[in-house]
Amino acid sequence: MEFEVIAKCKTTKARVSRMKLAHGVTMLPTFMPVATQAAIKGLTSQQMESLGVTLILNNTYHLNLRPGLDVLKTAGGAHRFQGWNRNLLTDSGGFQLVSLSKFTTITEEGALFASPFTGEPTMLTPEESISIQHTIGADIIMQLDDVVSSLTTGPRVEEAMERSVRWLDRCIAQHNKSGKKDSQNLFAIVQGGLNPHLRDRCLDMMVARKDGVAGYAIGGLSGGEEKGDIKQCADKLPDERPRYSMGIGFAEDLLVCVALGVDMADCVFPTRTARFGVALTHSGPLNLRLSKHTKDFGPIDDSCPCPTCKDKVSRAILHHTITHETAAAHAITMHNVVFQAQVMGRAREAIIAGTFPDYLQTFFAQYFGKAGYPEWCVNALRSVGVDLLEGNPNQKVIPGTGAKWEYSDNPAL
Amino acid sequence: MAMTASTSSVSFSLSNWGPVSTTRSKIFGPRLGSLILHRHPQESDLDLSLPSTSREIRLETPTFLTSTSRGVVPHLSRDNVKRCESIRWVNVPFESFMESNPPVPTIHPGPDPLHKFLGFNQSQQIISMSARNPCDGRQLPPNGKDTVSVWTLQGVRKLTPSDWQKYATKCQPDVVFALSDTPFTDPPYSQKRMTKSIERSAQWLARLLSSPTIPLPSVILHLAGLSSSPARRAFSNSLLEPLYGPELEAVAHMGIKNLDEGVVGYSVDLVPIRMTIEAEGRKIASTNNTATPSALTPMFNQTRHLAVPLHTAQIIPLVHSSLSSLPPFKLRLINGIESPHEVLRYISKVGIDVFDAGWAQKCASIGVALDFEFPVITRKDVGEVGRLQIGCNLYDEAYQMDFRALSSSFLCQCPTCVPVSTPEGEEIKHGVDSEEYTRTTAIPTHPSTAVLSEVKGYTRAYIHHLLHTHEMSAHTLLTMHNLETLDRFFRGIRGLLTQLENSQKNEVASSLWDDEVSRFTLTYDELASFEVLETARGMWKDVDIKRGKGRLSKEKNEGEND
Ligand SMILES: [Zn+2]
Ligand SMILES: [Zn+2]
Repeated sequence: MEFEVIAKCKTTKARVSRMKLAHGVTMLPTFMPVATQAAIKGLTSQQMESLGVTLILNNTYHLNLRPGLDVLKTAGGAHRFQGWNRNLLTDSGGFQLVSLSKFTTITEEGALFASPFTGEPTMLTPEESISIQHTIGADIIMQLDDVVSSLTTGPRVEEAMERSVRWLDRCIAQHNKSGKKDSQNLFAIVQGGLNPHLRDRCLDMMVARKDGVAGYAIGGLSGGEEKGDIKQCADKLPDERPRYSMGIGFAEDLLVCVALGVDMADCVFPTRTARFGVALTHSGPLNLRLSKHTKDFGPIDDSCPCPTCKDKVSRAILHHTITHETAAAHAITMHNVVFQAQVMGRAREAIIAGTFPDYLQTFFAQYFGKAGYPEWCVNALRSVGVDLLEGNPNQKVIPGTGAKWEYSDNPAL
Repeated sequence: MAMTASTSSVSFSLSNWGPVSTTRSKIFGPRLGSLILHRHPQESDLDLSLPSTSREIRLETPTFLTSTSRGVVPHLSRDNVKRCESIRWVNVPFESFMESNPPVPTIHPGPDPLHKFLGFNQSQQIISMSARNPCDGRQLPPNGKDTVSVWTLQGVRKLTPSDWQKYATKCQPDVVFALSDTPFTDPPYSQKRMTKSIERSAQWLARLLSSPTIPLPSVILHLAGLSSSPARRAFSNSLLEPLYGPELEAVAHMGIKNLDEGVVGYSVDLVPIRMTIEAEGRKIASTNNTATPSALTPMFNQTRHLAVPLHTAQIIPLVHSSLSSLPPFKLRLINGIESPHEVLRYISKVGIDVFDAGWAQKCASIGVALDFEFPVITRKDVGEVGRLQIGCNLYDEAYQMDFRALSSSFLCQCPTCVPVSTPEGEEIKHGVDSEEYTRTTAIPTHPSTAVLSEVKGYTRAYIHHLLHTHEMSAHTLLTMHNLETLDRFFRGIRGLLTQLENSQKNEVASSLWDDEVSRFTLTYDELASFEVLETARGMWKDVDIKRGKGRLSKEKNEGEND
């Protein structure tokens, strides 16, 4: 990996960098669409490429089940298998193992679970997770970590944190001896859902292993308030390594993370919500299932460069076809993928132009309108010197993650 | 036969070879033709400067039309439709738009509302509009004296001939199918019902042609009469009767003397005919208390999950009785085809020019990649390995490790088999991602350039994987491939006919055609092919139940939580 920070925001911790991997350059900060099963919902790899996406995510747990490693090996890796010629990232499979498998037990050796095929007890060790990811062949791979729910308290949290560091060492060792270091890059995972003291220790230990890792992921965040902890991580992580915040996908959250110094994020939300008829726009999400769109011949967003809006696909025809025709989901998926990329692209432009704080103000004002700003966003941005309410003093502040959008299903609305 | 006073007109002409003479065998045999759509520039047309060829679409026949559902080609977003050169004629069943009143396309602002609303390119695609999905055989309440029952998601709607004229003129498709009084109640139908059916169908055609306030698109007429040869003959004859008095006045603007002169071509919907033949068979069997006589043609499953034989042998003479009195040089179209074998039969025995592609698209929806060629050239070896099927059920575990291209007989050029990457630099730019920023000074020759040049087609193994993980992309890739395979099949048919036409000896030519058809039939086992489709449909259902609908609603709930 070649990683170079090319611009920094003078107010916030935001930065623009260039990350060169084996399948080309990806400019950061960026959002990564999730192709869980080696496909972005209904789209072809050529379509994704045409949207200006240069980095997507595959899930190791899923690919290991299907098509399986034999198939991927014979295909020559996941890139060739899915016809994707740009950059690819895989997770370790550990998170899904814990959340999707009922019988997972963590031991020092690894994660013990019931094989979904045979029911036999099966062990996923850190070494094996890395070697599975080597077979998949993604440009960025993740360490196996000992994931605990953010609701967990007590000694188990500390145990998991310390084990994750030990597992990182085993992952680094496995990666170093594989001969794949030139084409694949290992990221460490900092546990975000910890108390500040533990998180600090975790960061110290992980930063000490900097030479063995190409970048850092921040994991274990789910609720809105916890995302504030990203600041502590980003502040402490070395400048010369990319920082990846796992599972972040709402536009407002993305921009706050960027302001805190995050370079990459992923989430299934933009592609999943598309299938239920929700198009994301700079003026907030739009539920195309609502009957108010029946006779609306305008596109989702006049100024959007996506194939759907450029072709002037109307809200009316999307309303007529969504949930009945897969093609409608494809059209909205393309739009949402482009929307996410635009949000991040505009952030990069603003950072370079030195206007990132203004961009945050404009984005939030247009996106939320009078709906109110999420409290966590306001607080997190204050911590890096941007006061969203400064230019908009009458704006409401909504506790927690914020506004409720028109995600409603009721077609009568 | 071009119709005047319309913003577009369709004309059809036959090539020299074929049924120019009057003998019966020549009227009904393979033929080559061309269908030309000419868009007349309007005063409001901003593109008056365009060369005239860009206002013309030319389709060589025999060819096919692509089916749509709710106005879209299933599984293809518009950018993918543009990637498919095989999509040149789309048919739009209008009934789904009758869920709102007035139907939404009829209030679309600006010229060419239907093209614009559905996003088809006027210089690339011909759009036809039919009231109903011609392949839908579901039961419906009876049609009325002045209404056709149509199917919408919100239940049955009634469509009147005058509304149909209004919708056709407002939507401005290139072709409109006249309303037909085809019953979908409970076949078989009485003679009285058939008499009513042909009378109404003729009246409704007259209504469609009469004094529209806006020019009417070119009209294709469904040949009424179902399984009754006398009714079919009577219907055709009624079209040829000279019009008098007010009836003549009503169509005076068209300069026509009978109803037939008002239409550019004829269509036959196979589904209701098959259902009627089937019902008649059951009736005879029950009165004679014997088993149903075995069908001469294969069994297949319709989308409505009814097993109905193709009944091709019975239907061909019925189509003959419709066509024999009508001018032989008009366009002939068939809806409800189920296999390439059936296409060849209708070309050989009737001389059909246009076939619907619904079956090939349905194959894509159930995981079948079509794989056949005509004439059979590369797979002449099959005698030794056993007969082939017309497609692969990619659900089958046999494809798990099969990294071959979808087509075994030729290098398919479809966007699935030969994916075309966006030229570098032409992807959508989002900010600070132009070459100015992405260019790096270090190590100019990185392995990535080598990787980038290795764009290969999607494999059977990949689509097998997508099918089993219930990924929609499987059906997108299969639709693009199946339509191209079908296009190639028709190119092969036209190529052979052109070759034979040039040979100038009709007897030799006709036997060479028959030889190639039987070679195709011997190479590709039709019955076994239907079994492949049947198995695929079963596996599609299993995966859909396991990972489809149920999973979707689960995700929906999750989605609401986040
Ligand atoms: Zn868009
Ligand atoms: Zn193909």
